[in-house]
Amino acid sequence: MTEVSDERATQAITVLLVEDDAPTLWRLQDALTKSGFEVTAAATLAEARASLAGSGPKVLLTDLQLPDGHGIELIRETRQRFPETEIMVISILGDEASVISAITVGATGYLLKDAFPTDIAQTVRDLVAGHSPISASIARFIVRRTQNQAEPPPGPPLDTVKLTPREIDILWGIAKGFSYAEIAEHLGLSRQTVPGHIKNIYRKLEVHTRGEAVFEALQQGLIRL
Amino acid sequence: MKDEAAATTPGFSIPEHRRLRVARFAQYILIQALIAVACIFALRQSLPEPPARYLVSEFSAKEGGVERAVTLPHYTSSRFSLNDPPVYSGRFAWPGNSPPGTEAQGAWSVYLPRFSNGVEVAVNGVVILDSRRDPVANRPDRNAPEIAVIPASLLREKANDLTLRLFVWGPLTGFLDSVYVGPDQTLRPYFEQRTLLFVTLPVVVSAWQAILAVILAIMWAVRRREPAYGILAAAMALGVAQAFLPVAVEQSQYSRLNAILITSAPIESAFVLTFAMLFLGLRWPRYGALIFAPGLILVAVALFGGQALVSEAFVLLGVPAIGVYMVLLALIVARSVWKRHDVASFVLGCAVTVVLTGWIHDVLAVLQMTPDRRIFIARLSYSAMLVAIGAGLTVRFARALNQVDRFAGRLVTQVRQAEDKLKESFVREEERARAAALALERTRLMRDLHDGLGGQLVSIVALSERGDAGVPIGDAARAALKDLRLVIDSMDDIGGDLMLALGSWRERATAQLRPHDIALDWRALSPQGLPVHPELRPWHVIQIVRLLDEAVTNAVKHAGARRITVTIETLADASDFAYGRITVDDDGRGFALMPDGAAADKKAGRGLRNMRSRATRCGIELELISGAGGTRVRLNLPRRFPDSDAAGA
Repeated sequence: MTEVSDERATQAITVLLVEDDAPTLWRLQDALTKSGFEVTAAATLAEARASLAGSGPKVLLTDLQLPDGHGIELIRETRQRFPETEIMVISILGDEASVISAITVGATGYLLKDAFPTDIAQTVRDLVAGHSPISASIARFIVRRTQNQAEPPPGPPLDTVKLTPREIDILWGIAKGFSYAEIAEHLGLSRQTVPGHIKNIYRKLEVHTRGEAVFEALQQGLIRL
Repeated sequence: MKDEAAATTPGFSIPEHRRLRVARFAQYILIQALIAVACIFALRQSLPEPPARYLVSEFSAKEGGVERAVTLPHYTSSRFSLNDPPVYSGRFAWPGNSPPGTEAQGAWSVYLPRFSNGVEVAVNGVVILDSRRDPVANRPDRNAPEIAVIPASLLREKANDLTLRLFVWGPLTGFLDSVYVGPDQTLRPYFEQRTLLFVTLPVVVSAWQAILAVILAIMWAVRRREPAYGILAAAMALGVAQAFLPVAVEQSQYSRLNAILITSAPIESAFVLTFAMLFLGLRWPRYGALIFAPGLILVAVALFGGQALVSEAFVLLGVPAIGVYMVLLALIVARSVWKRHDVASFVLGCAVTVVLTGWIHDVLAVLQMTPDRRIFIARLSYSAMLVAIGAGLTVRFARALNQVDRFAGRLVTQVRQAEDKLKESFVREEERARAAALALERTRLMRDLHDGLGGQLVSIVALSERGDAGVPIGDAARAALKDLRLVIDSMDDIGGDLMLALGSWRERATAQLRPHDIALDWRALSPQGLPVHPELRPWHVIQIVRLLDEAVTNAVKHAGARRITVTIETLADASDFAYGRITVDDDGRGFALMPDGAAADKKAGRGLRNMRSRATRCGIELELISGAGGTRVRLNLPRRFPDSDAAGA
């Protein structure tokens, strides 16, 4: 992070938005711009890489299926080059196949394409504030992976061994629709610490190995899906 | 044999088959004839005898008060002469103490190769041998020889007196074979040879019979359904007892028992015959038990009759009975050879031929119709039968083992084939089940998409064609997306925990309500939320979630509610069985319900009908209360969700 970006962060949060469907791009861009974000739009992987040539944005919002490549690659590159950048996946369904894959390469949240404009802005703002959103279905997917099963269930590969029992409890709460406050109360936590736990969960699910094999497997699994 | 040949059934009409069978049988008969001839030839061979110069054959016999000169071997005429036995007086010369190196040196003996039944030998008036003390010698069927060393002090140079008293009992006439007096070292080898053949060999055979008895008894004990072995074991045990229990004359306390044992041969033969009939699969004849009659009569005679009567009865009844059994046995075995042509029958047949030949020989010897020295071989030839039985059993056992091996091998192959087949059919079945599940799932998915997404997309098409762009299209499209997510979400495996599905629903409902500025209160009264239902299926989840969606939509669209409260709890029914309850309360205007439970409002009415139909399909008890203060939709979940969609599409 350079001094310039720090200075700009105080004024406006920079967002790199990568989406190949023009109406969707407009919609998201409108919602974010109206809320005071500084948005750079890209429709292809090449354009996104070009705008990442210099410095990294505060937030990267990317679709996964791009005309010239896969959003997973972009997320991984960004994660490696700009560790401070918050990364979110734009998904139509918020399905675990795409979201979990993105999480394992460094994404810390997802955004539904049809979310209401106010929700879009709020989600990004929360993300910057350190509150990674996590949906009930994603939490459900993760906790079911922590249960020992003879045969790995279908879906992207996910390594959950690093999760602590408390983090798994929190995920169970989210999966069952409890609010952060309810979860905190159940587990005897402070309400404010729950988002931090969730962010930790994201970090732990990220695949840190430089080995290409994991990434290949991930990508292949995703492409097959 | 002719009967057997005639008895062949018309089933053997194939000439080829019949010819082969006749040829085989002729072969069998020929072999039996050869065996008989061989036996006769072997019996013709006389046993080696000591040098003739030691033979003492000129005797003066005193029998029944009459004295005359006889030449040994000699048959007495009298029969019961235990008290007044025939006395044979003869002379022999002893060369005296000859110089060393000559034959005459050392002890001299009297050697009696064969006598019947007992003999007392006296030299120069002093008794040196009484064969009645020797139990083996007392068996007339054993041909036991005797030898006695003459004490040197008794011997006189040149002429010595030799007196033999021949004791005879039984219906047999007395018999005294040639007598030898000579140096012990010359005579003894001949004695030993006869002892080996007529005393030791029968003991060996009897030992073999004892072993057979034990083996057969064990076989019968283990395989009770084959009584043939038990019967044969009884026969063998009887034979062993007869051979080993001592037989001594004038031992009154055992005489009855001895008499029974001596007469046991017919019973033993009857047992052997019974065995052969059972073993060779013959039907037991109606009066089959009669074959034991001669044996039993003999036992009765032995128990109550005198010694002389027993002997008479044995010779007159027992011996012919044994002969009849042998002939019957030969016929039975021949029949079996004819029908089955197996090794066991064949071996048994050969043995029977040997024994039968021996029996005929003995009878002829008793009747003095053969120029024989009264050597009885029936008992000895019986050993051929014992060997045959042992061999037959061993062959049968080995074959059974082979059969078991083959059977086991076949079984292994069959099991493997069955396994393969099963695996194949399992794979097929799995394939079929998978296909069926897929088809079912496709049907369900289609119905779900038709119910929600399809209708909404059609609605979008209609709205966009009207060119009336704006909120309605957006709402319809959003609803379509929401439904798509619901369908996808419901397909996830939630392990029967409905709370996991409600968690996602809460998220979607919250997002839906936020633009309308309606708060969604979420109250889980029980810590675990709802009971887990392992039978919960995706289609149940979809119905429940859509039901809740309708409740929320009604509250938003028609009731104008500001706050919606969802309460989740687990309750126990009267029988203490836990069931779940989901309640959706709103603070809207409510709606008037008709007496029949339908809503007055037309649109709301359709929604209510939908809700009821969904609840019914899932076995949910739906409660609807609506009033000025708001509306309450309550879902009492079933204890068990129905397996099939009762209400259909």
